[in-house]
Amino acid sequence: MNADDFESRLARQPLRTPPAEWRAEILRTAGVASGSQPSTLNSQPASWWRELLWPCPQAWAALAGAWVIIAVLNNNSLDRSPTQVTQKIPAPSPEIYALLREQERWLMELDEPRPPRVQQPAAPPRPSPLRPHSEIRLIARMA
Amino acid sequence: MPPDLPRLYDEHASALFAFLLNFTRHEADARDVLQEVFRRLATRPALLDGVRWERAFLLRLAHNLAIDQIRRRDSRERRHEKIAEIVDIFATTDDPDEAAFRRALAEALGELPAEQRAVVHLKLWEGLTFEAIAVALDIPPNTAASRYRYGLDKLRARLRPLYEEIK
Repeated sequence: MNADDFESRLARQPLRTPPAEWRAEILRTAGVASGSQPSTLNSQPASWWRELLWPCPQAWAALAGAWVIIAVLNNNSLDRSPTQVTQKIPAPSPEIYALLREQERWLMELDEPRPPRVQQPAAPPRPSPLRPHSEIRLIARMA
Repeated sequence: MPPDLPRLYDEHASALFAFLLNFTRHEADARDVLQEVFRRLATRPALLDGVRWERAFLLRLAHNLAIDQIRRRDSRERRHEKIAEIVDIFATTDDPDEAAFRRALAEALGELPAEQRAVVHLKLWEGLTFEAIAVALDIPPNTAASRYRYGLDKLRARLRPLYEEIK
């Protein structure tokens, strides 16, 4: 028995086809299941953007939603006028102002060049009003 | 895009029915599965989006649904494995020799394991390559080739006397 002949003989056997009445019934049932009647008209070709985006509309919707959220958050963080910023920051108290002034004075002292140390007899150095209080008190005791 | 169901039916229903009838060995099961295939196509419009080869995709869908259908049946009956039941899977003919051969062939196919029968059907009557059969049945190509060889050998041994007689 030639293998090819046998296979050819088998392949030539015509198969049964489904009964003709099944077509209408199967299509009608499928149409009911989908909620619409099956159309026999050829649908118009979709526009290019629909063909590009439609395969995964959920992914596109999620991406768009993420961008919207990012844009809103970014907008909220940047959309602050100077007036709004200053209005939201409470004004410093007088005590804080005093501390800030004293801090500024200390910084100025640090920036001033100090004269070289010279051994001076006798007279105690006059306390400078720019020196820290702690140093002024120490010099006064030594005198 | 919603699938064009009438076109799909006209192009693929005959092939799907023949495959399902041969695989399930039961006409009612074949009809139910065929109905389910088109119901799925109707309720999931995106099912065929991006599919380049409709026939292979639909055969794979039909095969998977047929397996589910068989499993739902009573395991004691196992109609798809019964040897005694012969299903008319071939067209009728007036030639008595041809009719006898077709009847014997249908019976011999029923004696094959279902998965061998599926491969033999797709190779002989759908003309698919082993690679295409592998895609349709979700099996390796080598498995498809070996199942075909085993199945064909059994058919040859089973039908040799009748084939030699009417050749």
